[in-house]
Amino acid sequence: MRRVRALLAKEFLDLRRNRAALVPVAMITVLSIAIPFAVVVGIPAATGQSLGDDPGLQRLSAVVGSEYELSPNGRIELFLFQQFLMLFILTPITGAMSLAAHAVIGEKQTRTLEPMLATPITTLELLVAKVLGALLPTLAISVVGLVLYFVLIAAVSDVGVFRAMLSVRSAILVLVLGPAAALVALQGALVISSRVNDPRTAQQFAVLLIMPLAAALVGQFVGRMWMSVAFLAFVGLGLFGVWVLLTLLSVALFERESILTRWR
Amino acid sequence: MIAASHLIRRFGSRIAVNDLSLEIRKSEIVALLGPNGAGKTTTLRMLAGLIAPSSGTVTIDGVELTRVTGSALRARIGFLTEAPGLWDRLTVRENLAIYAELYALAGPDRVIDRMLETLELADRATTRTGELSKGMRQKVTLARALLHNPPILLLDEPTSGLDPEVTRTVRRLLADRRAAGCAILVSTHNLDEAERMADRVAVLQERLIAVGPPAALRQRLTTGRVLVRVMGNPASLLKVARKFDRDATIDGPALAIQMVEERRIPALVSALVEAGGEILEVRQEMPALEDVYMHLVNEHGLTARPEPRADK
Repeated sequence: MRRVRALLAKEFLDLRRNRAALVPVAMITVLSIAIPFAVVVGIPAATGQSLGDDPGLQRLSAVVGSEYELSPNGRIELFLFQQFLMLFILTPITGAMSLAAHAVIGEKQTRTLEPMLATPITTLELLVAKVLGALLPTLAISVVGLVLYFVLIAAVSDVGVFRAMLSVRSAILVLVLGPAAALVALQGALVISSRVNDPRTAQQFAVLLIMPLAAALVGQFVGRMWMSVAFLAFVGLGLFGVWVLLTLLSVALFERESILTRWR
Repeated sequence: MIAASHLIRRFGSRIAVNDLSLEIRKSEIVALLGPNGAGKTTTLRMLAGLIAPSSGTVTIDGVELTRVTGSALRARIGFLTEAPGLWDRLTVRENLAIYAELYALAGPDRVIDRMLETLELADRATTRTGELSKGMRQKVTLARALLHNPPILLLDEPTSGLDPEVTRTVRRLLADRRAAGCAILVSTHNLDEAERMADRVAVLQERLIAVGPPAALRQRLTTGRVLVRVMGNPASLLKVARKFDRDATIDGPALAIQMVEERRIPALVSALVEAGGEILEVRQEMPALEDVYMHLVNEHGLTARPEPRADK
């Protein structure tokens, strides 16, 4: 644990001196906040039409908020804010994945990997530190964004929407699905990072990991599917399981000597 | 203290290191010499537990280095990599502090302070390593390798490209470590350094082609010639010298005499003195270590080859 903490301290010091590395995560977070409010507040204000007037949105939003006394407009707002909450939780991961994708190959390129591997550090410790090094700053930015997201919802949404957002579904999205998806994506990116020769390759492969999540989001938006609380919890826990398996896989695939002798 | 036994390392069909057996004992510095691609770095990496041998074993105090024992045994080794491998955005102290934690040192701040003092780096403690000169970076790298006071040091070209002052500091430090009981293996191209520092020299070209104290290796190529430098013109003593060697010649200010039997040298000196010679110096002609090295390398038909790794 001490060695994991040590490497984490290094990752954070390095990030503090290279804040530009976190700019993509911050930008995606800001965009993820801006887009829902542009849709929920900006478009109706610009067109002069209420969201509640749109029959398509009324139909789609029927899946949420039946237990709350919400206006048609409020129900649509709840539907959209729930959808964007999922997007909001998942999209910063794409930014963090560039950190994870760079984690091993980056150390190799700067030739800092060999002296590190010559210490007693185990492969598991190294990989856990690398994943947490990408995850924790991302989560910190996400938490700040999340607070802002909910504050803005409280400020601009219809009566009852904010209260309806404080639901078990939101909690599962924020506390289970988001971190689990992040862990899986980052661990996957790390596996790729320890198997390729170039950070660009790692990054491009890593971005592919986000595709299934994007597909699920689109499915929800167009009303083809709706993930219930139980389903989200199941998926979240399943993702934690996948992360454990991926961690074991990444330890098995991390060949110290291949990394030191074959990479060019 | 650390021993390699019949180490073989293949990369695909190519053999980088072949049947290498070598022991580095406590309080000993061994210099590993060899042309580029001779397998020096591969050997150091195998000894450091970074890559596994294709066959053969590495043992540290009798414990075999394996995947299972690797983590614990690596704590006993200080490994100086050829490239500094410092985190450039971190300061000198921060770099060392991370490694102090990786080695789980007690009282890391005190240890780091002492190391910074030893290597005259205290005034650079808060400088980012990316801003340091090559010599300073090398000192930091050395500080990192020595930080946990390891009983075994494996150093890949520790003085390469350093100015004489820093080189001297490094040599002094290694001599101190040897005096403290450390077993030290130094890979180097610098034959002068090997001769000055090392108790033994190991010449590697895929195989270990010679091992021994520098003087003993030089003795291998000794010509048996004795050079006697005298006051004035040596020609007047040539007749006396030829009683011992019919082919004795004059070599500059000295007489050059082939002496098959070393025990006859005092008799030669007496004869020259009796003949009125004023002798300034008598020495056996010995080849330089460089000559021995070149001879060994050429004898084995060796040519430089690229190392099978990315960072060379």
